[in-house]
Amino acid sequence: MRILVVEDDPDLNRQVTAMLTESGYAVDSADDGEDAHHLGETEPYDGVVLDLGLPSMDGMSVLERWREAGLTMPVLVLSARDRWNDVVRAMDAGADDYVRKPVELEELLSKLRALLRRATGHVTNEIRCGPLCLDTKRARLTVEGEAIRLTSHEYRLLSYLMHHQDRIVSRTELVEHMYDQDFDRDSNTIEVFVGRLRKKLPDDLIRTVRGLGYCLSDPNSGG
Amino acid sequence: VVSVIVSRIRIAVVDWWPRFCAALEVLWGKGWMSPRSLTFRIIAGTALWSAILLPAAALTLNAIYRGRITEEFDRRLSRLSTLLIASSAIEDTGEPQPPEDFGDALFNLPLATGWYWQIEPIAVRDRESWPLLSPSRIGSPLPADDLAPHSDTTSLRVFDLDLENGEALRVAHRVISAPFAGNENAYRYVVTGNRGEIDRAVADFASKIALALGALGAGILILTLGLVRFGLQPLTRVQAGLARIRSGEAQRLEGRLPLEIQPLQDELNALIASNEAIIDRARTQVGNLAHALKTPLSVLNNEAQTAKGPLAQLVGEQTKVMRDQVAHYLDRARMAARSGVIGRVTMIRPVAEGLVRALSKIYERDGVTIRLACIGTPAFQGEKQDLEEVLGNLLDNAGKWADSTVTLSIKSAGMGDFQGRNLPVVQLLIEDDGPGLSDSQCKEAVQRGARLDESKPGSGLGLSIVRDLVELYGGSFSLSRSKLGGLRAELLLPGAA
Repeated sequence: MRILVVEDDPDLNRQVTAMLTESGYAVDSADDGEDAHHLGETEPYDGVVLDLGLPSMDGMSVLERWREAGLTMPVLVLSARDRWNDVVRAMDAGADDYVRKPVELEELLSKLRALLRRATGHVTNEIRCGPLCLDTKRARLTVEGEAIRLTSHEYRLLSYLMHHQDRIVSRTELVEHMYDQDFDRDSNTIEVFVGRLRKKLPDDLIRTVRGLGYCLSDPNSGG
Repeated sequence: VVSVIVSRIRIAVVDWWPRFCAALEVLWGKGWMSPRSLTFRIIAGTALWSAILLPAAALTLNAIYRGRITEEFDRRLSRLSTLLIASSAIEDTGEPQPPEDFGDALFNLPLATGWYWQIEPIAVRDRESWPLLSPSRIGSPLPADDLAPHSDTTSLRVFDLDLENGEALRVAHRVISAPFAGNENAYRYVVTGNRGEIDRAVADFASKIALALGALGAGILILTLGLVRFGLQPLTRVQAGLARIRSGEAQRLEGRLPLEIQPLQDELNALIASNEAIIDRARTQVGNLAHALKTPLSVLNNEAQTAKGPLAQLVGEQTKVMRDQVAHYLDRARMAARSGVIGRVTMIRPVAEGLVRALSKIYERDGVTIRLACIGTPAFQGEKQDLEEVLGNLLDNAGKWADSTVTLSIKSAGMGDFQGRNLPVVQLLIEDDGPGLSDSQCKEAVQRGARLDESKPGSGLGLSIVRDLVELYGGSFSLSRSKLGGLRAELLLPGAA
């Protein structure tokens, strides 16, 4: 899952980025409104953490422009403006949640997780697929109750597939959502990670759809 | 004259005293009798001025009238004196004879009419027949001692003479010397008139004047009162305008006023505008302070949480204290900036709808539905921001704890007393179907900074700022158990008609 963090305070930006990276997300960061707007329009983010007070273009305008352009990724607004009026305006402009500064990183993370789950139609922290159970809060995978160790790349790959299970996900899509902007992307490495994952998981969970991509689904669910 | 006026005043006072007292009580009740009352000052000034001026005018007029009447009377006496001399033929001896049929009946009736004539020699009263007297004065000549001092001249002299029996006379006195052979005597011719006639005419005049001037004085007072009321009416309009501003029905004073008061209205409007500007500035700066402090606090707190060691722990604890303090005092600063604000009216429905819309979006993912039931078009007598703060915090709390449902119902609930003002009451009920609170927890929850459960995020200041804001408006805030199963927060706020 790929996240854009927009925050003009370099320290806070660094902290949020570090926390999200540690939690298994691919994170890009921007420190002014125009950059953020540009990145949001050109890169396929799964979620955005957006500060409202930004240089060059304020967060509210960035958000409005994204929504006008038809972008639907969940946006978590992070702001020092704590009046309810600001909350209502941000929500009306298309925000999905609002966190007031000073912010606890835990709170930010739990809200962001909830937003990402909802965006893909999941209600709890745990996403299941047959014997698999992915706890997005603890970044832990269990297969029939037994914990499986995953590397961060494996986790990201599996997490994306599980969020979008029963759907064909292309290699390009995976690359775009697994890596941040600066990563040297190579779609061949995806195949390597898929291979490793298959070894750790029960058979037939990740199918290769020739020429299109991969599909994670529960083989026993009839679908 | 003075006694007439005094007696009239006494009668008037005795007759009118109870009514006067009743009127005073009414005026006192209206605050018009206070020395701080402009009406009282002007009326009292006018009354005092009239009390000096009108009697002075009465006395002056009286004096002038008495002078004119006396002059007239003297001319009449002088004519009668001439007539007396002409009609009393002088015999060869040089002695005057009594005139036949002199003047009018007043001289000839044997009554003390005050109209007398008397003729006598100056030197001696040597004969039984002296002095010659008018029939009205038969047998009792005028006292010679009183007449003697005026014998030094032959010209006409007019003077007052008061007799022992109380008769007040006006006397015309003339001395004629008739130098006949063997009779060098000079004779005194005296005609008297009744001075009471003058007094009666003057008293009559005085009473008429007193009546007229009294009426004039009363008229002046009534007219002044009317003028004062009329003149002060624009001030009453200004007062009513200010009351409308306070109650939030108007933003500034409107309407054209007299030239003298127009500057007052302009200044008041300027004051209101500058008051608003100051508050706006204060708010902006408080907001800027919030922006400036909150991001560094976030950074410090987050850094402290990721780092290990006693320093990190200390920094972590202290930033939490700072964060709570900043939030607390920023809220209070905003409130203080607001408490002097002239009243505004906020329509409740749009505010409630916006908050429900925003919070629905946030809590929808937890399966919580927020429902709004708003009857009529209730209005809140206060700032929009405050209503947002109160409703937002309560709805946010309800959303955090609810299992599936939050309801916000708004309706008007009669009239109530808010800081001494009788205003419509708006009832806002926020209910949820979450775990709710026990009675003692309900009490504790509204205390400053209380946070009963740390498991859900929130600074815990939400409820105390609600309590403080509601207090600021003289409303009430209570927590109890909802029939939905969770918490029921009830707000009673001042409404607007």
